[in-house]
Amino acid sequence: MKLVKLASITKKMTLAAVGAFLLIFLPMHMGLNLCIIRDDGGEWYRNVCHFMGTNWIVKVFEVILLATVLIHVIVAILLTIENLRARGSVRYAVPSKTKTHFGSKYMIWTGGLIFAFLVLHFVNFYFAKFGLVEGVYTVKTEKLQMHITDKVLDIQQQMESGKIDQQKAQEMMMNLQMEYMPYLQLTQSGQPADKLSKDGKEIINLRGKKELESFAGKDFTDYEPDFYVMCNDLFKNKMYSLIYLLALIILGIHLFHAINSIFQTFGLNHRKYNKAIEYLAAGYAVIVPIGFAIVPLFVLFCK
Amino acid sequence: MTTLNSKIPQGPLAEKWTKYKADQKLVNPANKRKLDVIVVGTGLAGASAAASLGALGFNVKIFCISDSPRRAHSIAAQGGINAAKNYPNDGDSVGRLFYDTIKGGDYRAREANVYRLAEVSNSIIDQCVAQGVPFARDYAGLLDNRSFGGAQVSRTFYAKGQTGQQLLLGAYSALSKQIKDGTVKMYERKEMMDVVLVDGKARGIITRDLQTGKLERWFGHAVIVATGGYGNVYYLSTNAMNSNGSAAWQCYKKGACFANPCYVQIHPTCIPVHGDYQSKLTLMSESLRNDGRIWVPKKKEDAEAIRAGKLKPTDIAEEDRDYYLERRYPAFGNLVPRDIASRAAKERCDAGFGVGSGQAVYLDFKAAIERLGKDKVAARYGNLFQMYEKIVDQNPYETPMMIYPAVHYTMGGLWVDYELQTTVEGLFAAGEANFSDHGANRLGASALMQGLADGYFVLPYTIQNYLSKEIYSSPIPTTVPEFETAENDVRAKIEKLMNIKGSQSVDTFQKKLGHIMWEYVGMGRTKEGLTKAIPMIQALREEFWKDVRITGDQNSMNPELEKALRFSDHVELAELIAKDALHREESCGGHFREEHQTEEGEAKRDDENFMYVAAWEYKGNGEPELHKEELNYEFIKVQQRNYK
Amino acid sequence: MNLTLKIWRQENARAKGRFETYKLENISPDCSFLEMLDILNEQLVNKLSHPVCFDNDCREGICGMCGLYINGRPHGPDDGVTTCQLHMRRFKDGDTIVIEPWRAKPFPIIRDLVVDRTAFDKIIQEGGYISATTGGVPDANAIPIPKHKADEAMDSASCIGCGACVAACKNASAMLFVSAKVSQMALLPQGRPEAAKRVQAMVAKMDELGFGNCTNTYACEAECPKSIKRSNIARMNREFLCAKTCSEE
Repeated sequence: MKLVKLASITKKMTLAAVGAFLLIFLPMHMGLNLCIIRDDGGEWYRNVCHFMGTNWIVKVFEVILLATVLIHVIVAILLTIENLRARGSVRYAVPSKTKTHFGSKYMIWTGGLIFAFLVLHFVNFYFAKFGLVEGVYTVKTEKLQMHITDKVLDIQQQMESGKIDQQKAQEMMMNLQMEYMPYLQLTQSGQPADKLSKDGKEIINLRGKKELESFAGKDFTDYEPDFYVMCNDLFKNKMYSLIYLLALIILGIHLFHAINSIFQTFGLNHRKYNKAIEYLAAGYAVIVPIGFAIVPLFVLFCK
Repeated sequence: MTTLNSKIPQGPLAEKWTKYKADQKLVNPANKRKLDVIVVGTGLAGASAAASLGALGFNVKIFCISDSPRRAHSIAAQGGINAAKNYPNDGDSVGRLFYDTIKGGDYRAREANVYRLAEVSNSIIDQCVAQGVPFARDYAGLLDNRSFGGAQVSRTFYAKGQTGQQLLLGAYSALSKQIKDGTVKMYERKEMMDVVLVDGKARGIITRDLQTGKLERWFGHAVIVATGGYGNVYYLSTNAMNSNGSAAWQCYKKGACFANPCYVQIHPTCIPVHGDYQSKLTLMSESLRNDGRIWVPKKKEDAEAIRAGKLKPTDIAEEDRDYYLERRYPAFGNLVPRDIASRAAKERCDAGFGVGSGQAVYLDFKAAIERLGKDKVAARYGNLFQMYEKIVDQNPYETPMMIYPAVHYTMGGLWVDYELQTTVEGLFAAGEANFSDHGANRLGASALMQGLADGYFVLPYTIQNYLSKEIYSSPIPTTVPEFETAENDVRAKIEKLMNIKGSQSVDTFQKKLGHIMWEYVGMGRTKEGLTKAIPMIQALREEFWKDVRITGDQNSMNPELEKALRFSDHVELAELIAKDALHREESCGGHFREEHQTEEGEAKRDDENFMYVAAWEYKGNGEPELHKEELNYEFIKVQQRNYK
Repeated sequence: MNLTLKIWRQENARAKGRFETYKLENISPDCSFLEMLDILNEQLVNKLSHPVCFDNDCREGICGMCGLYINGRPHGPDDGVTTCQLHMRRFKDGDTIVIEPWRAKPFPIIRDLVVDRTAFDKIIQEGGYISATTGGVPDANAIPIPKHKADEAMDSASCIGCGACVAACKNASAMLFVSAKVSQMALLPQGRPEAAKRVQAMVAKMDELGFGNCTNTYACEAECPKSIKRSNIARMNREFLCAKTCSEE
């Protein structure tokens, strides 16, 4: 019994097609990452992150990308279950000694590990964006100033319209001042030093929600995660870098077979081009992970 | 009392088949659906017959001894299939193919049948190409031909060295379509145990399910036996392990005459025997003789030194080599027909010039490699060379191959008339199982032609002539006493075998029988040897029925029991082969009596006394009765075969 | 040479199987693998036990009947041969040889090492043919076929249906077998009229019978005794895609 009533080849092609889509994303991500090694205090990197985090086209793609990953994973699991069943109830006693295409036998395992890594990656970076996990944030002083000004104006309005009396208004102003004391101190005295950008336009390096709140207050939402700092922090952790590098090797193995397979699965083969396809797959599977690997190696050894 | 009526249509040779088809009776489509035809065997003849009959609309049941029709031994034919297409424009024609086949068969085949075979040969090629058989082609995209033993024209179509495979798969695919369409029902892993006669007509068969041991009854308005030859009587042959003569033998015991059993073809190019554990002999395609040169050392001392391992074949100088086929038959050289090439090899080995174990000659490709280059030789014979190297562990590009003759094909078989019907009404035989078209010797690439001719183009017509009379007979329930008795007889035989509980395995007996047959009823037969062999075979049969050991049980898969059942028939068949060989006091084709040879050692026919088909009728425990079908050559001048 | 054999024994499809160990002595290296099993069986018969059942027929590598999983490889340690073409010189004195049947859900065991491969026939019956009934076909040379295409079709057609591809594949996929037939027919002009219908029907049957999916490991290609190429699978994929998207059948 097949789990999904689609032809085996259709399922394979679905897997390959979404896989191929994911291949477009990887070099983009790699290029973005590589901005970090520019010695500009993270200016390019932050700009790119800002663009990626705010542009609506990117956001649409983000949804598609997530769906794609999900389909890829679900189809792969489906196929694997069917494939395990196809062997029958008794399996071979002697493990196979057949020569197979490099990495091909372990696609579900390399895929699984990549997925596990992806979860870790999401926890570290992507979730921070939604505040699901603690991250490092930055806040634009201009925006925060406007936010505070809005609040002050609001109190004044209420008083003028007679909703509250003067005493109440004064009390509220006091509270507001108390709430934003750290911010005021920072902008006026420049203390603590590592929280303000050089041009004074941003409050930076706010580690965690608590610190963010202490400067920006509870209801301020216009902050952004600071991936530059988060990235540098993470990769300085040797253990994390090691896991990251291992994941890249696994990714390379996965990609090498995956790219070859896409051509095979769609029947895009020809004896004149088969060699070129092998080279393309090998090239991609080596260059992309190396591109990604440069970042942790750079952070670890060149900073 | 059986009488042989070959039912050859009147008229000029070239018009007989056309006339037959015009005059024969047909069955209308509505009636076809009501008629059941049983086909036993799924080789070229069986599969093509079943597919064609199914397509016509008959209800066909086909029985296969293996798990799939594609296992049938037709698959192993390497060389090719003949047809008189004359694509190479080298002077071929239906008439020439007919003549070559009659001459190759040493004037012991029926003219009308052979002419029909040559006539339909072209349609076979058309049919196969339409089915998607990937025959070899030239650079223009047209079909390629090669030459083969016994012919001076290139008329052999081939698909690499796997022609038999491709043709069988073609027939198998046609059969598969009919199975899908529901006109043919396929029964695999069932072996025919007996044919059931009701009122003197073949009306069904008893089978044994090889998986469960269950005996089953099947009804058919007609039964076609296409179960191949009986070469495995000789134990070591090029036949497959499961090939056997049992089904044909059951037909014989139910009254079908068995014709010319002594015509056994010994193929000249097989890999020599190398140990007593050996289970079969491997054929190297005859096409190798196109470019390979066969030789033995000229000097006896060289041959002795080679056998002792002191000399290598490459050490023998050109002038010390005896290319005996080229010497004796300058016109055909290495391409003489199979029987002649085989006997010549035996003659040299018997004279002490053999190499290897003494029972081998060289097949040398040195000249071909020098002339064509290694690549071209590899392109032509690469897979055969590889196969040889796998088995013998020697590289044929560097050292000559060793070959020796081995039992390959049986020209004899169930006697059939022009309609392929045996002497039992409603029982037909096709392919190697019948005796019809090859006379005393079969030419290379003719077996495939005959099998497919019978199945595609002959039986679908001729069987209708019989079945047209059967449209009024409704199916007979398999509970009638005839079926009951037949099944009980089979069961009794199995139980008897199982209960012997002796001390020797079936293989031991089959090996012993093989030795007797190869020694006395093999390539060179003598009156003395044959009279000695017959009592030996009889004694072996008695010993078998007293001392065979079959382990396991009869109600499950049991290869020992299968082999025992087949052997019990083979040992009887062997006796008939020997008797037939003894009675035929002449040499012709595959039957060579040493008493009857010319001064140069060629076969000497006795056309005056033996120009007939010897059809033997079963008479219970008594001596079989000989019926003679005289062969009248109206259109061909009978000559001494001459390939010089 | 002396050998230890570990052979899968199973009375019938429903019975529980187990490995049995046998010792064999004085086996000639020139002996073929199946002849070695013949010798074992001869000894088993002498000891009054049931011989090991194994499928075999032509013993020259063309019928596709034999097929044993030997030491972790279908048809044993040699490339490009069937079990019957394997010779004992390929093993060393004192070796232990583990012999298992093909293992795949669509190939149930009949007895010992014999499996039921009729699933292959069922796939062929779905469309592995050109519907040319006997007679009424054009002359064989009416349609020229480019030599390279005819040769390629021949390569695809040389499949012997032994099932080693399924046995070798970790997914028990029959893609190589099916694609070889689809390719043969797709390459030839005679096969084109039914091409779209054929590929869909055969793939559907293959799936229905419970064969696994192809994950492009190419174990099938590595173990095929007739060296059927993976490009056949690619061609079938292409044919399938075209049939699903463009054809009206």
